[in-house]
Amino acid sequence: MRRASPHVILALLLAVCFTLATTIQPRTRAWSERAKSGNVLKMLLGDGRRMFANHFFEQADISFHSGYYPSIFDQRAPAGKSAMASGKDEHDEHDEAAHEKAMAFLGQPRDWIEAFGRHFRITEHTHLAHGQEREILPWLRLSAELDPQRIDTYTVAAYWLREKLGKVKEAEEFLREGQRNNPNSYEILFELGRLYRESLKDNVRARHVWEFALRKWNEQESASAKPDPFQREQIAVNLARVEEEAGRLERAIELLELGKKTSPNPAGLQKQIDEIRLKSAPPSTAPNAPAY
Amino acid sequence: MNNVLAISGIVIKELYRRKDFYVLFVLTALITLVLGSVSFFNDAKIVRYLKEICLLLIWVASLVIAISTAARQIPVERENRTIFPLLAKPVTRGQFILGKFLGCWLACGVALVVFYLFFGVVSESRGRSDPAATGLTSSAAPAGPAASAKADDHEGAAGGSEHHDDHAGTEPFSVLLNYVQALALHWLMLGVVTAIVLLGSVVFSAPSSNVTISFIGILGILLLGEHLNKVALRQQQPAQAILYTTYFLLPHLEWFDIRDRVIYDQPPIAFVDCSLAALYAIAYTGLLLFLTWFVFRRKTLTL
Amino acid sequence: MSVILKTERLRVEYASRELRSGIKVALNGLDLEVRAGEVFGFLGPNGAGKTTTMNVLLGFVNPTGGEARLFGVDVREPIARQRIGYLPELTYYYKFLTAEELLRFYARIFGIPRGEADRRIDALLKLVELEHARTRSIKTYSKGMQQRVGLAQALINNPALLILDEPTSGLDPLGRMKVREIIQRLKSEGKTVFFSSHELGEAETICDRVAIICRGELKAEGKVSDLVTQHQCDLEKLFLKLIGYQPQEVI
Repeated sequence: MRRASPHVILALLLAVCFTLATTIQPRTRAWSERAKSGNVLKMLLGDGRRMFANHFFEQADISFHSGYYPSIFDQRAPAGKSAMASGKDEHDEHDEAAHEKAMAFLGQPRDWIEAFGRHFRITEHTHLAHGQEREILPWLRLSAELDPQRIDTYTVAAYWLREKLGKVKEAEEFLREGQRNNPNSYEILFELGRLYRESLKDNVRARHVWEFALRKWNEQESASAKPDPFQREQIAVNLARVEEEAGRLERAIELLELGKKTSPNPAGLQKQIDEIRLKSAPPSTAPNAPAY
Repeated sequence: MNNVLAISGIVIKELYRRKDFYVLFVLTALITLVLGSVSFFNDAKIVRYLKEICLLLIWVASLVIAISTAARQIPVERENRTIFPLLAKPVTRGQFILGKFLGCWLACGVALVVFYLFFGVVSESRGRSDPAATGLTSSAAPAGPAASAKADDHEGAAGGSEHHDDHAGTEPFSVLLNYVQALALHWLMLGVVTAIVLLGSVVFSAPSSNVTISFIGILGILLLGEHLNKVALRQQQPAQAILYTTYFLLPHLEWFDIRDRVIYDQPPIAFVDCSLAALYAIAYTGLLLFLTWFVFRRKTLTL
Repeated sequence: MSVILKTERLRVEYASRELRSGIKVALNGLDLEVRAGEVFGFLGPNGAGKTTTMNVLLGFVNPTGGEARLFGVDVREPIARQRIGYLPELTYYYKFLTAEELLRFYARIFGIPRGEADRRIDALLKLVELEHARTRSIKTYSKGMQQRVGLAQALINNPALLILDEPTSGLDPLGRMKVREIIQRLKSEGKTVFFSSHELGEAETICDRVAIICRGELKAEGKVSDLVTQHQCDLEKLFLKLIGYQPQEVI
């Protein structure tokens, strides 16, 4: 029997491989979500990318604190949101006190090694300011790339971009990207509304976006066992301000009443309602008007 | 000393004739330059992420160079039998070990200088913070005058924090000193690492086991060493005693990792503290080299 | 003539799992003397203890008992090796170095000043016929060339005693002849040569004295002519007799 030439065997093997590849390839699409994904990172890391996304979000916070940050071994006091993330929310003394307590994790050194080691560490609690907030942006961008469904990343980045760095256009683009990846997110819509009102002074667009956000909140949270009232209150109160400025006082009152239901400061909102009512009341019906 | 220097010269020649260092340097440079070319939100002034990634790559590369070079020295000499003509000369085993250590350490130093020069060029090319606007506020969130007033009260809120001059970290001389300190401390740390690996190379028979165990051990020390006391305090006896003893006995290599201070433009470390850290590194290196000689001196080298 | 190399009741034991006693005796009370200026052949079958003896002399192995001295200095002192040159059987040198760099390195170990080192390197490379390859790295050398580099590095310090382990092993007839010529030349310069070999003919030709070792014990020592006369047979037959070889009967 004649021995086959190596070239013939090679050609045969190549033909077999090609045939198998073309036959199997259509079937692989059904095997996993990962295979379908056009995103390289999703394909490489699968759901593990969320872990990296969380890490990079935390890295942004570390950067915001210029390296002073508790490790997993430090006793962390429960603090809620980080200062970087809560920068976009309205502050109160309680929030800031909680953050200070959380960041006072170092305490007195337990031994001489720890005491000496602190000379090589960053031991002062600081926040970036005066334009240096830009340093957190790459980490937030990376976090968004890895986990486009993480809402925080878009809202936090957008806040710092427009509020502190003057990059309104970039903030809007980023929020729009977040909206495309998370079409039902009322948080992103709320932040977009803030951008239109506070940075672009476009109350009309802000109002439309916030109405949409409120609708989204109602669709998602009202049916939920534990709805998040804070966001609704935020949307309602801000929308109420816009309505008040536009002269739609009834609507403003309605929204403030909605926000008051779950607000931690109902008295403050009631005061605003009363002021609007006073504004909307006709002058002739004012009490104690002299009868001529 | 002449013998020690002669042997160290051979080690350095070997390193720059092998491809490892060049590959690692090119890889580091490539990754840094690619990341540096990315624009985030059309802002060209963002620099810290680049410094962080570049320094991380430098640390990884330097550990790879130090561990792989040191792990190879004695086992490969024995395997290739080049140790026999060398020790047949009037060279003591102590001089042999010292020469190998010095060669590896000096080679690491040369590599570090190149890496840090590259780092300096990259970070300075991006521009530094304006000294008048360092961008640091001490503690507390930025909103509202009430919060700002509180901010002053909170200076030094973290226990043991030092007084911080906002501008001290960004003056050119300060920046240069920071880089020099970072390089010097990094190099000292690599001395301890080299000594650890050399000890491993006379204890473990296979270089691959030595490399693996050394990498894991050294990474463990760098990442966990400073936290062992906190973990120990949460344990019951006798685990607490064991962990605390380990904490005191381990070389604290994390002292020599001052990347954060470079990235976040902190002022340079006091000269006294650097000197004490250097003494600590020298003491540990000496101890480890002595142990290496102690194990190696009676080892049979058979043909 | 003064005694350059001396071993007294030299004993080397290794731990061994194969033997019931758990100990393998590689050298059992070896007494050896090599005098200045002679060519001394150290002969024996494989596993006899020749290499172990050399290992002890060079400080690679610590003796279990007895002592070994070079130039009157205990072999465990590095200074004992200041005036010796050593050529191992398997020649491996730093492959990333050139012949010139290797010789310069060893010259530095011996503390030879640079100028003198340059002169010796030139002379040695000429002697071993490697001038044309002095700037090529050793990894490009053939086995014969590596052997010659080995010889050059063994001579770099102008040693009074040369220890050669199977110097002609693996060489072609021309190579073996060149090595023999070099040994003769070294002898004429008053150097002492101590070498181990399987080549009995070679030993017979160039050695002043020989020692035959088997199973770690010295079986015979002396001038070749005296041994041959004493036992009334040639060196090969004597060797076979001393190692206990029994010829097989041909049926």
